[in-house]
Amino acid sequence: MKFKLKSIAWLSAMILGGVLYAAAQEQAKGLNSPTTPSRAPASTLTPTSSRPKLVHDAADARFEGEKRFRANCGRCHMAPHKLPPRMMVTIERHMRVRAMITDEDMRFIVAYMTE
Amino acid sequence: MGLVRRLPDSRPGLYRLHGRCAHCASYHSTTDSFVALERFASPHQYGENLCRVTQRGVVVGKKFSTCVLKIARRRLSAAAAVRRTSFLSLRCTICLIGALLAFAGTPILRAQDQSDTPKPVPVVTGAAGFITTFDAGQPHLGPLISAVILAPLKDRWLIESRDTFESDLTQEPGRSGFHGQVLKEVDYLQLDFIANPYVTVTVGRFLTPFGIFNERFYPIWIRNLQTDPLILPIGIGPSNASTGAMVRGGFPATSSFNINYAAYFSTLSTVSPLDSSRFAGGRLGIFIPNQRIEIGGSFQHLLQDDRSNSFGFHGAWQPPALPFDLRGEYQRSSQGSGYWIEPAYRLSQVPFWQNAMRRTQLVARMQQFWVGAVPSDSLLPANTRQFEFGVNYYFEDGLRAVSSYGRQFSAAGNKNIWTIGLTYRFAFPLGHGDVN
Repeated sequence: MKFKLKSIAWLSAMILGGVLYAAAQEQAKGLNSPTTPSRAPASTLTPTSSRPKLVHDAADARFEGEKRFRANCGRCHMAPHKLPPRMMVTIERHMRVRAMITDEDMRFIVAYMTE
Repeated sequence: MGLVRRLPDSRPGLYRLHGRCAHCASYHSTTDSFVALERFASPHQYGENLCRVTQRGVVVGKKFSTCVLKIARRRLSAAAAVRRTSFLSLRCTICLIGALLAFAGTPILRAQDQSDTPKPVPVVTGAAGFITTFDAGQPHLGPLISAVILAPLKDRWLIESRDTFESDLTQEPGRSGFHGQVLKEVDYLQLDFIANPYVTVTVGRFLTPFGIFNERFYPIWIRNLQTDPLILPIGIGPSNASTGAMVRGGFPATSSFNINYAAYFSTLSTVSPLDSSRFAGGRLGIFIPNQRIEIGGSFQHLLQDDRSNSFGFHGAWQPPALPFDLRGEYQRSSQGSGYWIEPAYRLSQVPFWQNAMRRTQLVARMQQFWVGAVPSDSLLPANTRQFEFGVNYYFEDGLRAVSSYGRQFSAAGNKNIWTIGLTYRFAFPLGHGDVN
């Protein structure tokens, strides 16, 4: 019983620490250098003076999306045919849970697969 | 816009902020855990409390807008923050995790919900296949249909299920033709709640996240070789699945690597074919996207029978410059231990017959199994080594011909294992309506 409690406590503490650390990093990154992809036209993705964007235009977003697709999805399977956007969003939600893809990677991949 | 309290000293560091309102006399405090992990000098939010700590001071907004806070600061060293964490009791840890599930990352998800991402539709996807196996000369015909039903609910929920219909048709003495029963299985039926970008909560019947093969490489359209690894039954329960609850997620730890984790509890179920054992465990992995390297480990504690522990390690590598995969696992339990290593190479870089070569994949798998102290029906009864080689040909993305040859060396007898077959992956929307 003691061993079980200690194991659960250690496991929980590890998860908690990782989540908090990532949350802090994500928030700092989100406020200082947002990298969130958008499905908006390329003109709305141009960098601003106060917050430089990682994604400069549609070509960069596509490149980043493809890179992340190959790194994450390509670990297990080949690239599927392009599916309709609303189907792809469902499948990405499924794969986010199954393959534990990060939130940021998922958004890049969805933008790439539904463009 | 709230009040601005100027701070005389705004050195970046770890701080705790607390104070009492001069009007309502309420005591307000930021939680230690939030502050201890954030830089004092960078603007940020504390969950629902919209306080922003900037170089100029503390901007107090919304909930605190009617309060005049006398900010007291105490600088915490990083070591003190770690010490504080280590003294957390189990109950505090669980409470904090509960709070995290509810609040951490809520602003990020809210922003995400407002984006112009298309609304998801229910989808049926999965695979169909026909695999013929010659096991020690005995032919087995294996038709199989495995359908994954995905039903998204609102922005954060997903119901998913995989249902498999398969048969193992064999020749029976004294009868002509092949005979067998159709097995109907619910591999998993789970409800997922994406609580925030770092945590997904799953309840129901789910594939046990012990190692990587059961969760990720099991479907016939994904696996490179159609035979199961010898150590697959270790740690995944009597029907490859658990019945209970799980938290899991993946997040970027630094700019160079991501962390993924899963922690779960399964209860005892004797309802066949939805049976499961009572155990708890977890898996932790690190993924380096630039090098495409993934390593991790799994742990499980059985809460019944011999109350034994199981653990395992897994790894995968895909060099970006080569169409090459390398996967492997090592697992150990009281029932047995073993490993498998599986390299696969797509011949897309071969300079001749490119149209055919780029569709061809060569695969090999080396594996070994050692019997443990506790006998198991699902594992082999004797120490075994097995080598397999295979060739896969991709007609298109979803349609593939597979073949392999394997040789098994065991104290119970050596044998050859041949497989040949076709696999097909499908996906279509469920119901009518616009899918664009």
